[in-house]
This record gives sequence, C-alpha cells and structure tokens, in this order.
Amino acid sequence: MKSSFGFVVAIVALAILAALSGAMFQVAQTEQALVLRFGAPVAGRGLITEPGLHFKIPLIETVVRIDNRILDLESPKQEVIAADNQRIDVDAFVRYRIVDALKFYQAAGSVRAANNFLASILNSSVRRVLGEATQTQIVRDDRSALMAKIKAQVNNESLNYGIAIIDARLRRADLPREISEKVFSRMQSERKREANEYRAQGNEQYQKITSRADRDAIVIKAEAQQQADTTRGKGDAERNQVFAEAFGKDPDFFAFYRSMQAYDQSFKAGDTRFVTSPTSDFFRYFGNPTGK
Amino acid sequence: MPWSNQDGPRRPGGQNPWGPPGPWGGGPGGGQGGTPPDLEDLLRRAQSRLQGAMPGGFGAKGLIAFLLAGVLLWLLSGFYIVATNQVGLNLVFGKFVGKTKEGLNYNLPYPIGSVVKLGVTDFNAIDVGSAMRLDTRTQVDIPEESLMLTGDENIADVKFRVIWKIDDQKPEDYAFNISNPPATVKAVAESAMREIVGRSQIQKLLTAERKVIEPQSQELMQRVLDGYRAGVKIMQVQLLSVDPPASVISAFRDVTAAQQDRDRLKNEAEGYANKVVPEARGQAARILQEAEAYREQTVAESKGQASRFSQVYEEYKKAPQVTRERIYLETMERVFGAVDKVIIDKGAGQGVVPYLPLGEISRPSAPAGGSK
Repeated sequence: MKSSFGFVVAIVALAILAALSGAMFQVAQTEQALVLRFGAPVAGRGLITEPGLHFKIPLIETVVRIDNRILDLESPKQEVIAADNQRIDVDAFVRYRIVDALKFYQAAGSVRAANNFLASILNSSVRRVLGEATQTQIVRDDRSALMAKIKAQVNNESLNYGIAIIDARLRRADLPREISEKVFSRMQSERKREANEYRAQGNEQYQKITSRADRDAIVIKAEAQQQADTTRGKGDAERNQVFAEAFGKDPDFFAFYRSMQAYDQSFKAGDTRFVTSPTSDFFRYFGNPTGK
Repeated sequence: MPWSNQDGPRRPGGQNPWGPPGPWGGGPGGGQGGTPPDLEDLLRRAQSRLQGAMPGGFGAKGLIAFLLAGVLLWLLSGFYIVATNQVGLNLVFGKFVGKTKEGLNYNLPYPIGSVVKLGVTDFNAIDVGSAMRLDTRTQVDIPEESLMLTGDENIADVKFRVIWKIDDQKPEDYAFNISNPPATVKAVAESAMREIVGRSQIQKLLTAERKVIEPQSQELMQRVLDGYRAGVKIMQVQLLSVDPPASVISAFRDVTAAQQDRDRLKNEAEGYANKVVPEARGQAARILQEAEAYREQTVAESKGQASRFSQVYEEYKKAPQVTRERIYLETMERVFGAVDKVIIDKGAGQGVVPYLPLGEISRPSAPAGGSK
C-alpha cells in the first residue's frame, strides 16, 4: 500500500511535468513564433517576436517557429536574352526576411516552399528586367540600377508571402560558353593585331634610328673630308709659294738641280738596269782623257 | 514535523530547471488556471499520507541535502571559459541577453541558458576562382567563378581572396541576424567583384587598375554586408591573379613580347647609332688630323727643300760652271754606282741588243735619257 502510493505520486508528478513542458516553449533569438489554436492564431498573442520563454495551453495550442534571420535564396543559372539580342547567363540571389509571419505561414508554410515561390518570382523578374536592358547596360553601365529594379519587383510580389526582400543582386552575368569562345578568338585577334603593331613600330624605329645614324656618320666624314682637302690645298699652295720664291731666283739652275735630285731618287739599286752607250756625256773621258 | 519543512526546499528544487519563480506566479495567466488547485491538493494529500507512512527524520534530511547538493552542482555547471580570440553570447531561453569577454564567465546552465562562442579575432578567408583541394593540397581553378565579363566585352580571369572576420562590435548580428554568413560573404564578394570588373576595361584591369580594384571591391562588399547587418568585417580583398582567360593568355603574352621586341629593336638601333656616329666622328678627326699633318709636312718639306736649294744656289753663284759639273758627276756616280749597267758600244750593240733579257728590265730607258 505504501509503495503503490509512492508510485502513484511519481506518475502524477511526471504527468504534471509533461503538462508544464507542453505549456512552455522557447523562442530563440533567431526566430519568431506563431501560437495557433486549432490552426488559427490566438488573439492578442498569436505572434511572438520577442525571444525567450513563452506559454501556451498544452494540446490545444500549437507553436509554429518561423525564422527571423535574413535568409538567402540563390537562383540557378538561367539564360537571359538582353534587349540587344545578346544571350547572357545570369546567376542572381536575394536576401530576404520574413516580415509578416502569419501571412508567410498562411501563404507559404515553410521556408522551403517559400524559396520555391521566390525562385520563380526572381527568375521571371530577372528575365523581365534584364530583357529590357542591353548587354553593356547589364554588365557595365546600369548594373546596380537593374539590381535595384529587380529587388523592387520581387519585393512587390513577395510581400504577398509576408517576405521583404533585403537585397537582390546579380552574382554572375556571363556569356554562354559558345559565345565566350567567340569572344576569346576576338580577343586573340585583337591582341595579335596589337602585337604586330608593336613589332612594326619596333622595325620602324630601328630603321629610322640606324639610317639617321648612318647618315650622320657619312655627313660627319664628308664634312671632315671637305675640311681636310681644304687644309691639304692650303699646304700645297704654301708649298708652291715657297718653291716659287726659292726656285725663281735661277730657273735654269733649278731645272738642273732638281733633275739631279730626281735621278738620285728614281734609279734605285736592284730595280734598274741601264743599257747605255759609252758615247754619252758621262763617258766623255772614258776613252779619251782629254774629254774631246 | 520534518515533513512540513520539506515542502519548502523541494519545490524550488523541482522548479529550478524551469526557471525563476516568476513565470510560476504568472503561470495561470498562461491558460492553466485549472491546474494549480489540483496540484496543491494532490501534494497536500500525498504529504499527509507520506507523513503517516514514513516516520524518522534522517532519511528526509539526507534527501534534502542531496537535492541541495544537486542544485548547487547544477548551478555551478553554468561557468564557462571564453578563449582570448572569442566573445561569448549568453542566451536565456533562447533570448540573447549579453556578451561576455575572454576569461571565466557565467550563464545559467542548460536547459535554461546556453552560450554561443564566436572567434571574433579569427581571420577567415574565402577564395573565389580557385579552391584548395583537401586531398592533394593543390589549388584547383574554378573557371565558372573566375571568368568575368569586362566593360569592353572581353573576359578576364580574376581570382581573389576575401579576408573577413566577425565584427567584434556586433557579434550578435553575425550569430542571430543572418543565416549562413560565410555563404553570404562569398555570394556578396563574387557579386561585388563582378560588378567592379564589369565597369573596367581589360587592358587597364591587367595593368594599372589592379591596385584600385582591391579597395573598391572591399568597400562595396562591406557596404552590401552592412546593409544586411551581417556582423561581418571585410578586412582585405586580395587579387590572387588577374589574367586573360587561359585560351588567350598566349596572345596576351605575345603582346608583351612584342612590346619587348619593339624596345629591344629600339635599343639595338640606338646601340648601333651610338657606335656608328662616334666612330664616324673619330674617323673625321683622323681625316682632319691627317690633312693637317699633310699640310704641315708639305710646308715643312718645301721650306726645307727651298732652304737647301737656296744654300746650294748661293754656293753655285760663286762658281757656277764648276759646281754644276761637280753636282752632275756626283749624281751620276751615285746613280750608276747603284744600278745594274750594261754598256754597249755603238758598233757592237747592233747584234747584242736583241738578245738581252729585256723581260728582266722593268723600265727600259733610252741610253740618251740618262745622259742628257
């Protein structure tokens, strides 16, 4: 009887604990919660945004936790045709927050379902917005404006799901593979053109510089030659003057004297052979001591 | 009697795991208005029965001591240590209540409290365009990430690394405000870099603009992440490489090579010019000097000869006939003394001359030429 009573007490205590635990729930810092009674939000405390410990009626009321953080959604790569008929592969992502938990719960139910809705909204918005822009606008000029436009459009529709878009961004905007190949070959040809230009410029400069140098060298030498010849001429003139002065004193003797010098210089041993007759003036004493 | 006391300690002991007594007071407001009377009634009845069934103080006192010790131990388990690189975030019932710094800290233990520790001074790195393969420890390229369209419709291969850390001023944002922060950082980084590269031209990207891109993209990333209140600080953006795509890199290298060829040719030409022109100047100087030398030599020689002639002439004037004769003979003596001579008499010469080896005579001279 004693032991059975203790047993009953323990059972009762456990039942109380179970009831209490069913009555209490935590809302984490990262969450908000909906308290639902038979599926409908409880009036006055149906939405709990303050994290901490909260209460509900066990069994009758249920709690739905909904993420309160900024959530991410990445859309897979899709091909977009820009206004100038260029095809572009676009990856976009949004960052969003559930701002109306009840609407979110009613319209989407879960983050996964919401992501499905959002993805299709995002994709169609990306196609719509980028379809009105040219490739250069998308890539270079208006990227942030277009992203803002996508954000606004998606936000407009996502508010129906209780979702506010914090940001929508193009992660990548690339050319499809086969167009990339064409870009590569164009880049190659452009570079080839550039390289040829550089090489041609190099040759041009080479020719210019070397020919200029050759010209300078020739001119320098020619001018030097001109001056040299002038100098030589001066020397010759002076020589003539000196000789004329000296030899003019007696032209006859000069002729004789100079001839003698010339003979002396002209006839050298070894390279000269005289065939002479003993009748010449030099030999006048040869056969006759009187010289007659 | 001991059992009446037991009521006190037991209740807090049993309640503690569920928090301070406050909520219990408010409990009925939570919609369980019917339960508490039942509970008290039950307890009271259980107490009276136990009192009758189990007399004897020792067992009860021991139980109380045991429970107290348990509570104490449980409370003590709330101490924890935050390492020097960390900050602790205290949560009570899932609600963020405060930050704790490095060292020994306290928060209510499980299941009431919990602690999130974040390494706020740790630097994290995210590579875009390449990744470290864990098995081989080598960098693997990820072209989908690194190939980007530039503003002039070219494609650049940009690999970069983002160094970021948790903002130590706002670690709670990092922990509670955003889901999957590292993936967010990466997505934002990629988006920001592509936005900036998309505004640039490939030639500038490959050369001068590299320096500008790092701070620009860092600033943009930080701005976007601050917009999310992500609690993330971008410390640095490092461009690991900015290259043309692999398939055209050789063409780009050839441009560099061509530039170098151009410079080389120019240098060669200048080298040639620097050699040829000074050489020409040297030769010119030589020509001038030689001419100068010729002039001076000529003048000096002529003066010398003139002087010699003048002196001989002065002597000659004193005895013209004798001096002339003497000079003639002395000259002939020297001339005939040195050369080979063949003297042929007029009569004998008629037959001999045809047989002379005239080929050996380099310059046949008329016999009269020498004598006249």
